[in-house]
Amino acid sequence: MTGIAETLARIYEGAIFVYGLVLLLTYAMLAILSIIAVRQYVKRSSYHQLNLLAGSPLAPGITVLAPAFNEGLTIISNVRSLLTLNYPRYEIIIINDGSTDNTMEQLVDEFKLVEVDFAFTVKIRSQPIRRVFKSTDPAYSSLLVIDKVNGKSKADAVNAGINIATFDYFLCTDVDCILHKDTLLELIKPVMQEPKKRVIAIGATLRIANSCEFDEGVMTRMRPPRQLLPRFQEVEYIRAFVLGKMGWSYLNCVPNVSGGLGLFDKEIAIRCGGYDHSSFGEDMELMTRMCRYAYDNRIDYAIRYIPKTLCWTEAPTSLKIFRRQRTRWARGLAQLTFAHFGMFFNPRYGKMGLVIFPYNFFFELLAPIIEFTGIIVYIVLSIMGYINWPYALLLLLFVYTYSVMITTIAILWDQITFRYYKSWREVLYLCMTPFMEFLLYHPLIVFFSLQGYYYFLTGKKSTWGNMQRQGFGKKKS
Amino acid sequence: MALLQLSAFPSTIESIFRNAPLAIQIAMVFIVVAITGTALAYYSILRSRYRGYRRDKKLSVLLPEIDNLIIDEVLTNPDMQQDIPADQVPLNLEPFQRLPLDRPWARQALTDRIIHFRRNVRGNMGNLLRNLYIQLELDKDTMKKMKSRRWEKKVQALVELTSLNMSIADVTILPLTNSRNRELRAAARHAYIKLSKNEPFKFFDVVTDPLLMWDQVELFRIITTTEGIAIPNFARWITYSGNKSVVSFCLKLVVHYNQLAAVPAIIKLLDTRDHYLRADAINCLGKLKVAEAEDQLVRIYTSQPLHCQIEILKAIGRISSGRNIDFLKTEFLHSTDFDLRKSAAKSLVKNEWFAKQVIDELLATSSPENLRILKHCMNPLIKY
Repeated sequence: MTGIAETLARIYEGAIFVYGLVLLLTYAMLAILSIIAVRQYVKRSSYHQLNLLAGSPLAPGITVLAPAFNEGLTIISNVRSLLTLNYPRYEIIIINDGSTDNTMEQLVDEFKLVEVDFAFTVKIRSQPIRRVFKSTDPAYSSLLVIDKVNGKSKADAVNAGINIATFDYFLCTDVDCILHKDTLLELIKPVMQEPKKRVIAIGATLRIANSCEFDEGVMTRMRPPRQLLPRFQEVEYIRAFVLGKMGWSYLNCVPNVSGGLGLFDKEIAIRCGGYDHSSFGEDMELMTRMCRYAYDNRIDYAIRYIPKTLCWTEAPTSLKIFRRQRTRWARGLAQLTFAHFGMFFNPRYGKMGLVIFPYNFFFELLAPIIEFTGIIVYIVLSIMGYINWPYALLLLLFVYTYSVMITTIAILWDQITFRYYKSWREVLYLCMTPFMEFLLYHPLIVFFSLQGYYYFLTGKKSTWGNMQRQGFGKKKS
Repeated sequence: MALLQLSAFPSTIESIFRNAPLAIQIAMVFIVVAITGTALAYYSILRSRYRGYRRDKKLSVLLPEIDNLIIDEVLTNPDMQQDIPADQVPLNLEPFQRLPLDRPWARQALTDRIIHFRRNVRGNMGNLLRNLYIQLELDKDTMKKMKSRRWEKKVQALVELTSLNMSIADVTILPLTNSRNRELRAAARHAYIKLSKNEPFKFFDVVTDPLLMWDQVELFRIITTTEGIAIPNFARWITYSGNKSVVSFCLKLVVHYNQLAAVPAIIKLLDTRDHYLRADAINCLGKLKVAEAEDQLVRIYTSQPLHCQIEILKAIGRISSGRNIDFLKTEFLHSTDFDLRKSAAKSLVKNEWFAKQVIDELLATSSPENLRILKHCMNPLIKY
């Protein structure tokens, strides 16, 4: 009996080691590919002047979709921020998703909105649109506001916006996100520079806005967050976007374009049914369906990522809201894997089926479960006296040092390319964060992910809710 | 004692490593790699920030100096006020020689500032800036870059030459217009159009790969902003080019230059089998307001795919001859596709001068959905 237990323990031990090693090697591969992709981007962008496109009559039109639900605190400055976008041909659609606060009234007063008869056809199902508003002030001629019945999800709101959108490409963002003024120019560039493939989605790096300075919705000073929880998220975003997504982008294997900022091909998005309002990870779900559609219809597609930070978003500062966000993301991932399991190792879906889906399954979905079971086994074995402590500590040190290295490399790629922060102290501040991340932040992620999976299995009800924002005011003098 | 222990440390580690199972050996190697990698990453961050800081500091001193010199010696040069041709204006180079021009970074900074100023001025002033660039022998640096093996250096040189309107032999640029490197190829094409003294549009004849949307934006800007360029009749490529992207691009240029001489070639293009190109041709005819093509457009309407039909309706609206009001009315009332009805309504509104009565009648009798479409199109606040 003891022999069997020992054999099983060895098999488990070996399997976990191989699993961990493959994961770490994947990160190493992504680190190498990402620096190639980032350098390529920097080299190319130095020759392509964005202002050429800004003044060109040949620029493709883009619709900016920003859903808002009870965003009364920040709505005006956020819409003003969107109105500063530098692009020759675009419209901004603010979707008021049945807010119960004064979001709509504020918009009407501030931007001199009047109700108009707006003709559109429903291509994707969403809750009904009650009214459409346009501004009588020519300064806001690109602004269109729709007031719709609450659909209890961001997906439903964006779908309503897609139905109204005029142009062939739409940019999906959250109304509380602050965009760089050249966002549209930067995001459309990969579409216009792609020689063979059809670029169906483009994303860019997102950052945490919490300690940055803003004036009238425009970012004036970039800083890493002072509070620990948002700073962990900043480091996580740098790793995920600059290292992860850029690495995957080099292989044309981007698994997801963030809901905070993404430019999409409207035709493909409509043909595959738009956002799924029942999904908790609607951005990833749409991306998966768009890829699936492209494979099914033999469209040679590409999804691109840009290493430059084009969007700043407010990160949760309290554990309660952070937990809500992460359980939701985890639930979305579980939902997506379950819904599209047919793509798993299915050669019909090319890189999506053979690379992205297995990676997401093994290293995103299963990772928290494996970590958790690992801790349980660890505790059991230590009680039974089976732990070789020096070796166990060595293995722990191995994982710790490696994770610190990968995050530091991500910060390095970011720093050598863009040098975002003004002072040395701010960079040092950020560089110290990975040392604590493993011990303080990572356990939270694992725990909240498991909670998300539990909610998925039990079908707990959840809605897209209030993030309890602080807003981006002008710096106090 | 402590020294003795320290000297024994590597051998202890070695013996642990030798006696450890494979997994632990791998872990130990990775620990060393990770610690070294992290330390190197820190060093690189520090180094890169320090270099950036030094560069910024140097440039923060040099750039205002360069700007002041350019403003004093070139832009506010008293001779320039008297309309003396740029090549006869003597430039005082002495103050420029006081800059650290023995350093490549300083020379590059000066070149970049001259280009920056030149982009913002026209005519004689621009020529004087070009003279400054030549007299300071900055062009030699650019030519050195042209000979570099690295494509990015070549691109940089081509951009500098193009920005400063420097003459360069066609034989030097022409081979690069078919380079395998996309960036270099594009830069060479732009330079060729801008700098070629003979046939700036010659590469349109030989280009086989598609002109990307971005290339078209860049080419469009260069063609439409270069002074003294002989604009050819683009009908030549619309008729004979086998490259669809060249034809499509030429249609945009025809619209920009309002080249009515190209209309027969565009009308012929309506017979093309490529319906994307056909849609471009219809769009072009509409923007040129070619009333003679209107009847043919209406004739072919029923046999066209949806996007060509939409373009035909838009073209009729743009032409605004008032000859096809009934056709637009029929499409508005009876088409089953929403976009067709909306395009027909828009064109009716654009033909309002002739269609006032029809619009009033439709406003009084249309179904609620059609009425909404019509009101949408009539509302000046709604652009699209």
